[in-house]
Amino acid sequence: MRRVFVAVINAYQKWISPAFPPRCKYYPSCSSYAASAISHYGFRGLVMSIWRLVRCNPWSHGGLDYAVTPANTFKNQPINSQKTSVGVR
Amino acid sequence: MGAILNPLYNLVSGVIIFFHKLLTPIFGADSGVTWSLSIVGLVILIRIILIPLFVKQIKSQRALTALQPQMKAIQTKYKDDRQKQSEEIMKLYKTHKTNPLASCFPILAQAPIFFALFTVLNGIAAKTDAGVSAPIARGFLKGDYLDSAAQATFFGAKISQSFLGSPDTTVKIVTVILIFIMSATTFTTQRQLMVKGMPKMDSSNNMMLQQQKIMLYLFPVIFAISGVNFPVGVLIYWSTTNFWTWGQQFYVIKRNPTPGSPAYEELERKRSHKDKEKNRDASGTVLNPENPEVGQNNQEDDVKGQRKQPKKKKKR
Repeated sequence: MRRVFVAVINAYQKWISPAFPPRCKYYPSCSSYAASAISHYGFRGLVMSIWRLVRCNPWSHGGLDYAVTPANTFKNQPINSQKTSVGVR
Repeated sequence: MGAILNPLYNLVSGVIIFFHKLLTPIFGADSGVTWSLSIVGLVILIRIILIPLFVKQIKSQRALTALQPQMKAIQTKYKDDRQKQSEEIMKLYKTHKTNPLASCFPILAQAPIFFALFTVLNGIAAKTDAGVSAPIARGFLKGDYLDSAAQATFFGAKISQSFLGSPDTTVKIVTVILIFIMSATTFTTQRQLMVKGMPKMDSSNNMMLQQQKIMLYLFPVIFAISGVNFPVGVLIYWSTTNFWTWGQQFYVIKRNPTPGSPAYEELERKRSHKDKEKNRDASGTVLNPENPEVGQNNQEDDVKGQRKQPKKKKKR
């Protein structure tokens, strides 16, 4: 199930997101956040991702916001493999 | 589910009926023009409500000019580490409480409205298994309004019909044209932003090119796939909102471009040219307002006829 969600997010990052200018106020972008949150925490990660999307609104100031701290992410996968097509300037 | 969706149906149909009542004295109650413009009215209302958000974003983009030196410093410091670069820039935005990016939520927030309009219009087009028209009332669109809307046309195509749902050739032609307009407006809007509206990025030209290519081919495909299922009314909604986005962006790029973008440089050039023109005296000499003694004539090509005698200083 986690894999399905992550695959959908990856497809979005590869095919849909590049067609639009970056719009996410956070780093990593909402989609990268969701992919790492879901692959690490499952359902809890999904809830976290939805809350992140709600926080990414016109009144927020954005900033750094990792679902999984980079050090933990590194154990499982190199950071460079995360798609960051959104939010990178 | 109904508890969430019913208020949305009420909202969408309520606004449409409101505009319908407003326009009936002009075009008539059953006219397709009235119904089509009612949908356009819905778009205009939503986009007007969204203007303050847009203005907020533009303002924070302007505030960015002050941060430009710090951003340059970050970019040079972390030249080879794009991740670190993004992290530091995001931190900078956060500490200065300004963020030029549009944020993800508003786009998602618009989706339910779009879905509600889709359902309301599809309800108009509903048929029984035997193929007899049996419109489903949703929200305030019921009774006489429902019957009238079911007959309303847009350039001869019923607004409740879709490309796949109707054998009518007129519907097919109108939907194809609307899908084309949708693709074209989205494409030009994005291209305009990519080419003129965004700060120039170093070493990412490749990515830009790739993005533009993807967009060039992907949009018509996505719209063609999804658009054939949409009723004409939804296509009217989508095309109108695209036109609005395009116009809004055109205005901003011309009047208030993002610092560092090609459009910004263009505006700066225009402004400094204007200032120069203002300081030009009758003979075409540009006077420096701070130091009137220094004047330079850069209008050699324009000089025609006799050379003007320099005025002598009056002797006392």
